[in-house]
Amino acid sequence: MSTQRVRRLPLRGADLVLVAMQALWKREGVSNNTLMAVQCDGPLDPARIRRALHCLLDYCPWPAARLRRRLPWGQLHWAAGPRAALATPPIRHKRLGPLEALHAELEAELNLAIDPRREPPLRVAILDSASDAAGPQSTIVVTWFHPLMDPRGGQNLLAHLSHLDEADGRAPWGDSPPVFVTEPDPRPLKERGRLGRSSQRYMRTLVPEAPVSPGTGLTAPGRVRFEQASFIGDDHGLGGVHSTREICWRLALVGRTMADLWRRRGLPDLRFLVPVSVDLRPKGEPGATFGNVLGFHFARFKPSETADVDRLALALRHQMTDALRDGQIDANAVAMEFLKYRPLSLMLRDLPGMATRETFSFNCADLGDFPPALEKLFGRRVVNAYHAPSVLPRPGIGVFFNRCGIKNNLVVSWIEGAMQIEEVKRIIEAIREGMGWRTAR
Amino acid sequence: MSTGNLSRLDPEEVARAVTDFINATIMARTRPVRPDDDLELAGLDSMALLKVLLFIEAHYGFWMPDEDLVTDNIRTARAFAAYICRRSA
Repeated sequence: MSTQRVRRLPLRGADLVLVAMQALWKREGVSNNTLMAVQCDGPLDPARIRRALHCLLDYCPWPAARLRRRLPWGQLHWAAGPRAALATPPIRHKRLGPLEALHAELEAELNLAIDPRREPPLRVAILDSASDAAGPQSTIVVTWFHPLMDPRGGQNLLAHLSHLDEADGRAPWGDSPPVFVTEPDPRPLKERGRLGRSSQRYMRTLVPEAPVSPGTGLTAPGRVRFEQASFIGDDHGLGGVHSTREICWRLALVGRTMADLWRRRGLPDLRFLVPVSVDLRPKGEPGATFGNVLGFHFARFKPSETADVDRLALALRHQMTDALRDGQIDANAVAMEFLKYRPLSLMLRDLPGMATRETFSFNCADLGDFPPALEKLFGRRVVNAYHAPSVLPRPGIGVFFNRCGIKNNLVVSWIEGAMQIEEVKRIIEAIREGMGWRTAR
Repeated sequence: MSTGNLSRLDPEEVARAVTDFINATIMARTRPVRPDDDLELAGLDSMALLKVLLFIEAHYGFWMPDEDLVTDNIRTARAFAAYICRRSA
């Protein structure tokens, strides 16, 4: 594919919200990086990954794009020039020695903030390490500016690279290349406007007062940190009153651990406000890679309501059902699309708590299964894979679940100053116990 | 579908209706499910389950209570259909 013109991909939905939220912390230089770490059972060849990424740019320019806004009131968008002008994003290869050194490298990746106006929105690192138990391992680390893609998009990107690697750089898709970006909403502007306004009205009713978070009052945020742990254990499937697989149950459990933190800190019993992401991709195929394909539901509950996790999970399920029945999740996705017509400084006006720069009480998401199709990558078997997003100073903490094979991964990201490592470890242990998991070897 | 003749529901027809709903609103066009496919394995998550429950509420006139959301009743479109017919008998 060859083209001489500049291609543009407007930022939409949650991508705009992320950029606007990060802009609140512009002076503090807070990172908006997110990363995906994929551990493989032997050394990886960086040249193969570089070749695949180079080849991908023939079909999809966005890994080499820059964030642009033609006028202060113009739409934020990804801009990519002709193929000849696209530089392959950087790929770094480093030998670390013991496996323990990996974590420090990953935290450094999160904190080395990508400036997508001046550099590619993603970069790749191949980190070799060794342990007595597991032998030599390589970890592919894809780090990107969060509004470039959501976690599923990151996995899709890896799948495309793997596909290109298997095809030895030749076009593996025949006449039907994959869908790299989401199609715009086909509904008429009038209908979308009605939905957007209904979402605005709904958002104003969510919480009567600004939420409190571990980052409340934090004016000089420290580095982004994270802890990751892998566990083994069966989940109770969808449905029922003890469905540990469901996001509502997991959110209720995380809510209980947060309530414990609130008690220890003497924080008020105000309602938690937690965004619950909803993947809008159709099920059964990968869907779009670039752009955030998420809608949001906003869960609300008080710390004092968290003692009985099963009961709270049912209440949260009913809350989500009501939001779905009333069309609020769809309306939310539409409303966020409309943000592109606003200056950055006004984008967040409709979010609850924005007057005091508070956003949410904490973040919580289940990123689902790492695709089984990616059990092998660049000639190596995938041992484990997880995501570690940076969180903003407010709320200052996020709890993220995902699964890779039989491993249940738990990642807690936080901002230094908002949380202490001992508090994070207590949260991880409480969640492990609540899920009935045991530590994976 | 009218909710007036629930006692005469045909399980096959209900299974087809539930399957059609899932394929039209939840699954990718290239990955339709069949009445006996495991829905969780097909990729249905918490939100998708709620969409199915809302479909049942809208078309068959009742809400499946939490205690009935057990694997035997929700594993496949046909399992949903069997529950709907039992409940409506």
